[in-house]
Amino acid sequence: MTDDETSQPTTHDEPIDGDELTDEERRVLANVAGILRKIKYGTVVLVVQDGKVVQIEMAEKFRLR
Amino acid sequence: MSRAATRTRDQPAGAPAASTISVRDLGMTRTRPSGEQVPAFEGLTFDIARGEFVTLIGPSGSGKTSTLGVIAGLERPTHGEVLVDGRPVTGPGPDRALLFQEPALFPWLSVRGNIELALRLANVPPGERQERAGTWLARVEVDRSTDRQPHELSAGMRQRVALARALACDPPILLGDEPFGALDALARERLQDIVQRERMERAGRTTFLFATHNAREAVLLADRVLVMSAAPGRLLEEFRIDAHRPRTLDDVLVARVVSEIHDLLIGQLEESSS
Repeated sequence: MTDDETSQPTTHDEPIDGDELTDEERRVLANVAGILRKIKYGTVVLVVQDGKVVQIEMAEKFRLR
Repeated sequence: MSRAATRTRDQPAGAPAASTISVRDLGMTRTRPSGEQVPAFEGLTFDIARGEFVTLIGPSGSGKTSTLGVIAGLERPTHGEVLVDGRPVTGPGPDRALLFQEPALFPWLSVRGNIELALRLANVPPGERQERAGTWLARVEVDRSTDRQPHELSAGMRQRVALARALACDPPILLGDEPFGALDALARERLQDIVQRERMERAGRTTFLFATHNAREAVLLADRVLVMSAAPGRLLEEFRIDAHRPRTLDDVLVARVVSEIHDLLIGQLEESSS
């Protein structure tokens, strides 16, 4: 594994080419990107029901000390 | 798809508004029997927005109870101040209801009598008291025991009555000092469910601040969890949780944040014992 690869999130599937995304998938990813631009440390969870993302939840962590 | 499932909904017309809490560089020093001065907690600064639910978690002795005591106006800080709606707290007031670990019900009054007395002290007109007490006892599922006395109830039921007594008076702020800490697991879960439901339905009418040493409870209930260090208590980390309610311990996000907070607290215990 190269240094570049170690900085990527872990996934078991090949990423889909951007041109193949459906409008719904773009909407979901745009929502996720909006969250990722705001948080520095935390967790984002997608809740999927019947093949659709029904909820995006997040927890953001701040160090105060 | 809704992301901001926990955001406070619009406040109903005519409903009393929740209050804001600002804690500014709060600190308290305690005097040991030997005369030695030891800091209980120090440098606490945080804000709680109107209608927000915040939990304060930390190891025993981190100063959670004393912090709540200062906000309730029952204790005086050595340093700093607390503002409620921008006004300094100088003593207890009806704007801040407090739930203790022990329900502190009047033993000579019936369950209903306890609620009605609180409503009388809150200047609720006599004609309204009976109906309001009945409504709240139903909301906390004690409506079949309204004429019993507190000693006839289980610990969980007594704490539900205490919760109903506090919320029946529509307080702008509800403070909880480990309110479910003495209950068995099932009773605690029922109360957590009831509190979650009230948080959802009160729509910004009450601001909640609960102290707990239970990471699961902290994450289930809160919009924000503030983690305190071992004594002297300082703020270590803050978790902002934007997740659908009602939450359960099986929720992936809940489990993940509980685990992170748990690790933080274990680290604090190890640090303080080394």
